[in-house]
Amino acid sequence: MRQINLFKLVLLVGLLLVAGTTVAKPGDLDRGKEIYDKRCTWCHGDEGDGLGAAEEYLNPPPRDFTSGNYKVKTSGFDEMVPNDDDVYRMIRDGMPGTSMPGWSSLLSKQDMWDLVAYVKMFAEFEEAPEQQVDYGTPVATSAESIAKGKEIFEDGDRCVECHGKTGKGDAIKGLKGDASERTWPRNLTKPWTYLGSNTPKDIFTRISAGIPGTEMPSFADPKSKKVLSIEERWHVANYVVSLAKTEKVINAENTVIKADMLEGDLPDSPDDERWEQTIPTTFLLVPQIIGEERFFKPSNDTITVRAVYNDKAVAMLLEWDDRTKSIPGDERAEKIADKPIQEDGVAVQLPIEIPDKMVKPYFGMGDATHPVNLWQWKSGTTDAAETVAMFNSRGFKDVEARDAADAGLQAKGSYHEGTWRVVMVRPLTTADAENDLQFIEGRFIPVAFAAWDGSNLGEKGSRHTMTTWYWLLLKPSTGVMPIIMALLIAGLFAGALLWWARNAATGKAAGKDSKEGTV
Amino acid sequence: MIMIKKRRIPRLLQLVLVVLGIYFGFILTFDVILGQLIPKSLLTMYMFFVISGVLMVFTFTEESTQELIDPIKALVEDPSKKMLRNIVFVIVPLLAGLYTYSSLSLSFEAPVELRTIHPAPPSKVKAYGKRFDLATLENPYRKYEKEDPDKFRELVKEGGDVYIQGCQYCHGDKLDGKGPYAEGLNPTPLNFQDVGTIAQLQESYVFWRIATGGPGLPAEAAPWISSMPVWQDFLSEDEIWKVILFLYDYTGHQPRSWEHE
Repeated sequence: MRQINLFKLVLLVGLLLVAGTTVAKPGDLDRGKEIYDKRCTWCHGDEGDGLGAAEEYLNPPPRDFTSGNYKVKTSGFDEMVPNDDDVYRMIRDGMPGTSMPGWSSLLSKQDMWDLVAYVKMFAEFEEAPEQQVDYGTPVATSAESIAKGKEIFEDGDRCVECHGKTGKGDAIKGLKGDASERTWPRNLTKPWTYLGSNTPKDIFTRISAGIPGTEMPSFADPKSKKVLSIEERWHVANYVVSLAKTEKVINAENTVIKADMLEGDLPDSPDDERWEQTIPTTFLLVPQIIGEERFFKPSNDTITVRAVYNDKAVAMLLEWDDRTKSIPGDERAEKIADKPIQEDGVAVQLPIEIPDKMVKPYFGMGDATHPVNLWQWKSGTTDAAETVAMFNSRGFKDVEARDAADAGLQAKGSYHEGTWRVVMVRPLTTADAENDLQFIEGRFIPVAFAAWDGSNLGEKGSRHTMTTWYWLLLKPSTGVMPIIMALLIAGLFAGALLWWARNAATGKAAGKDSKEGTV
Repeated sequence: MIMIKKRRIPRLLQLVLVVLGIYFGFILTFDVILGQLIPKSLLTMYMFFVISGVLMVFTFTEESTQELIDPIKALVEDPSKKMLRNIVFVIVPLLAGLYTYSSLSLSFEAPVELRTIHPAPPSKVKAYGKRFDLATLENPYRKYEKEDPDKFRELVKEGGDVYIQGCQYCHGDKLDGKGPYAEGLNPTPLNFQDVGTIAQLQESYVFWRIATGGPGLPAEAAPWISSMPVWQDFLSEDEIWKVILFLYDYTGHQPRSWEHE
């Protein structure tokens, strides 16, 4: 508040100084208002205060333009006013990881400049900022620069205090945004979720200017004890870029979890090294917004799945980044969690029968005629160990508890530096074929997942994230047949070609002979 | 004759270029521009017809056939092309072997699921414990567009609030089907800006699709995968009619009506 008042004072003085001179504006205010009222008001509100109809439902909440805080800006750390280009860029490209889309597909350049003019007015920004981020001489990325960046990143509590040692944002600090909303530090290993793009230059800018309206400070501010030189900031930016975990990128074409056949025992621990040799498949987790009670503000965003099988059982490794290990009763966990804390959890959903045709059970917990199997693991409390439960359901409301031990279902979880890994193992077949899926190799088996972050807004029951149907395939071994056939065909082709060439050569020779003969 | 001598691309190369051009044309159109991956089996079938067709054109006259065959013949028979011949004789059997291997190895591509996007509506629809006749059902608020424009603007605004609180997660702030969670759903949410969606539909149809949601779809539209909630559980009839006003107003489309036909 004080900052805003001070700012207003400065603005007033500034206005008096420039009174009489005309300030060039790129956009037209009236046109800007017209577009704003049609496109932007739903979230940002008629008055630009972020109190549109969507306000309660978005995470992060829509920006309050009257606060004057612009998260993504290239003006200096001691400047509140963003550059027009910064505002323009956010409108054009949107902000990844939020509900703000890029508008260039619907609005013309002029439309967007008109919006820039109008939006800035909410904070009474009239003049361009004087101070800009100083980029100095950019340091290109290299192993050496990344190593230096890593050292700075891990030194003291400059970065790891919030972003955690591995950059997954799994630190112990509870953070707040300027609307006093709960915020979580960025998981830096998923650069595609950065609000303001993930190029080294953009990351350098965030480190230098900070992220206004959040607890991310500027590391260019000489008054800060944590200040970094320009060169050091480039090293950190290069290191942050190198943190990307590419196996967690979603590939929309990749909808099949391929389980390899193993000889011998299956890995039944999440830390078994053999998991490293399997192929990970990553899916987007979306909040459960289909049935009562709809859930709008998730924190888990993706789940990575691997699977293997042998002649007896199938094992799945479910892996997802979760900033908090939510163990009810644990003092440290309780301190950082939204109240009331719940257990973390994950679930696998399978049909009871492998569908013959296209028909599947309804992806939201099955339907009356097509029930599903649910396997749910929970992280446990300080008083109780982790658990695995089994349910059969015919829709959200019709859920029947089953005995997981009877079906031979086992699960084991481990949490390490911002990531949960849970292994679930079940025999390929069970005694109760009526109520349990019987796995068959070579068949495409629909599979879906759900996850709960017990520290985020008390995720529990229907308040969770989920995926749509994907596929699980127990890869049958193909044997040596394709190689034998391939060699055979290649041999046939080679033989036929040689025969042709030979024939042509002798034929020509014979032709010549006969010609000579007639002459 | 002089014309032909003019640095022309050899017929054989022409044939190869045409076939390759069409092949990459398919990939470009489907995978890149339309964003719909073309299934391998379908592509193989298309290419079979393309190659047959192109061969027919290229061997239309005896002369053109000869032109096509000559370089191949020369390769096999001409002693001066020995080096090239050896290379081809190694590569061709290898390619044939590779193709055999890959086609015999099991494919792990996901099964293709074909579904109807806009299934024919039933004539009578059950929602809100009532029966609606889609042929006569009309948006009770549509008339205000002409009769009372101020009231109409108000209704559109109320519909917009319903939309932004309930629908944008999937269908997007721009109504383009690209909401923040759209990529996690299959099928992906409909794009209302597209001329092929609400612009082709009557308001009564849109009402039916919203009120009964994914589970209300007929079997050919694969109701088990649609993520559309059953909105009669969350919204009143009035709210649905208002959100429909908003959909058409925001996109600038007009609903189809019996009168226009």
